[in-house]
Amino acid sequence: METVLSIQSLTKNFGKLTAVNNLNLEVKRGQVFGMLGPNGSGKTTTLGMLMGVTNPTQGSFSWFGEAPSNEVRKKIGAVLEHPIFYPYLTGQKNLELNAMIKQCPPENIPNVLELVELTDRRDDKYKTYSLGMKQRLAIASALLNDPTVLILDEPTNGLDPMGIAEIRGLIKKIAANGKTIILASHLLDEVQKVCSHFAVLKKGNLVHIGPVDDVGKGSEVVEVGAEVANLNEVLLNFTGTSSIIKENGLYEVTLRDGFHSKELNRFLFDQGVTASHIHTKKRSLEKMFLEILAGS
Amino acid sequence: MLHLLKIDLKKMMNYRTFWVVCGLYFITLAFTTASGMEFLKWLANTFEDFGSELNINRIPLYHFPDVWLNLVWFSGCLKIVLAIMVVISVTNEFTYRTVRQNIIDGMSRSQFLFSKLLTNVLLSLMSVLMIFVIGLVTGMIYSPVIDMQNIITDLEFFPAYFLEIFFFLSYALMMSILIQRSGLTIILLLLSQMIEAIITANIDDVLPEIIPFFPMRSIWNLIKFPYQRYAFQEIQDYLKFSSVAIVVGWIVIFNYLSYLKLKKSDI
Repeated sequence: METVLSIQSLTKNFGKLTAVNNLNLEVKRGQVFGMLGPNGSGKTTTLGMLMGVTNPTQGSFSWFGEAPSNEVRKKIGAVLEHPIFYPYLTGQKNLELNAMIKQCPPENIPNVLELVELTDRRDDKYKTYSLGMKQRLAIASALLNDPTVLILDEPTNGLDPMGIAEIRGLIKKIAANGKTIILASHLLDEVQKVCSHFAVLKKGNLVHIGPVDDVGKGSEVVEVGAEVANLNEVLLNFTGTSSIIKENGLYEVTLRDGFHSKELNRFLFDQGVTASHIHTKKRSLEKMFLEILAGS
Repeated sequence: MLHLLKIDLKKMMNYRTFWVVCGLYFITLAFTTASGMEFLKWLANTFEDFGSELNINRIPLYHFPDVWLNLVWFSGCLKIVLAIMVVISVTNEFTYRTVRQNIIDGMSRSQFLFSKLLTNVLLSLMSVLMIFVIGLVTGMIYSPVIDMQNIITDLEFFPAYFLEIFFFLSYALMMSILIQRSGLTIILLLLSQMIEAIITANIDDVLPEIIPFFPMRSIWNLIKFPYQRYAFQEIQDYLKFSSVAIVVGWIVIFNYLSYLKLKKSDI
């Protein structure tokens, strides 16, 4: 697969603070790449360096195999942190200005406005927009030049649940068109829902990188409930049991590798125990994220 | 190059403050420079009240070629208004952080600076054109004899006037990029004349030979105060190469510092 972005030992120091430390990363075409990390872990600094607004202290990166330049940036659509526009210009004029800077035809403006559902408000000044509309205008602006790569930094920050759902739908729609998306977020649920790959940053260090599908892999956790007094002992007798926790009257059984809820169910049945509740819990990205952060 | 100018003008064209400030500047420029005769009449009236007489026809304020230098020197005093417009335009980019988005969207840092510089060139050229037209019209009206020789005399003050305006706008641009806050920048801009005067007054006894190299002083030396010629004093009605060189030197320094600051800093 074609490499869109390649980062080699990128480092940024702000005085004594190392915001990004020796980062190596590759993003391939078509990936929806999530960048996770707590606040202040260096996500925005990294994206700022990639988009030419923050000068790296050390290291290098290349877009599409080319050295970074303002011409390369024109092929990328990016929204970093907050949406930024001229408050005294209308949405339409702001996009016209952006089209001039990106040197792309202004004919795209109606299309992107339609996509983010801002056509009705295009002639209102930007400063009259709500936060959700500002975010959507920023996405419209990022899509203006039909970029092959889209960078979104906390695109749902400060939005209400409806706005979040809208933006998430939009990202999925864009990803379905085969665009490469780099999404920085601390909303793990969001990343799990839309991303194909993810990386975790902690205090500027890369602590994990891999496909999102891997999150569900590994040992299975099964929640079991049955109306027998010695359920705990029965469960302990199962050869596949690794550990048991009792929670809210139910037993959470973590299984050894290679064992599944199916075998546990059969074992219980053979022991004459009929489970009234049995539920395989999928490991969430949130849990994995906390594990990664705790382990690093 | 034209493309960069268009981008910067696009930012301005729908900005009401820009129209108000530029409108005020050009209207004030036109009215004040065109109403010199009214001023002389008022002066004559005042003299009369005190019992002395002033023959305003003996003061050839608008006669070719006097009119050029008279208007150019006077309108140079209004350049601060235009400079304040530049400060607003540039510091806005920092307060709204739009400079950051411009660069993310694909402008290089030098292109950003260049787009602002081109606007400065345009504003300076407009001032030059305005004063030239006003000078030409008033000269035609008030000059007793109109001959080509007198009209084309002293025209070199127009390139000098351009330099003066462009110099000051470059200074405003640099201060805006260095300070990034409109209020503080405007205050420093207004005070720079005075601050420099205090410094030069203090070193007058020690190092008088470096005083012509001070930036604000270099402008006063480029286009010298002309009105004392009506009190029968000698004036400098030509351009000195050294003064031009110092002003051009400062223009290069100001814009290079702007470039360095933009290049080095995280935006």
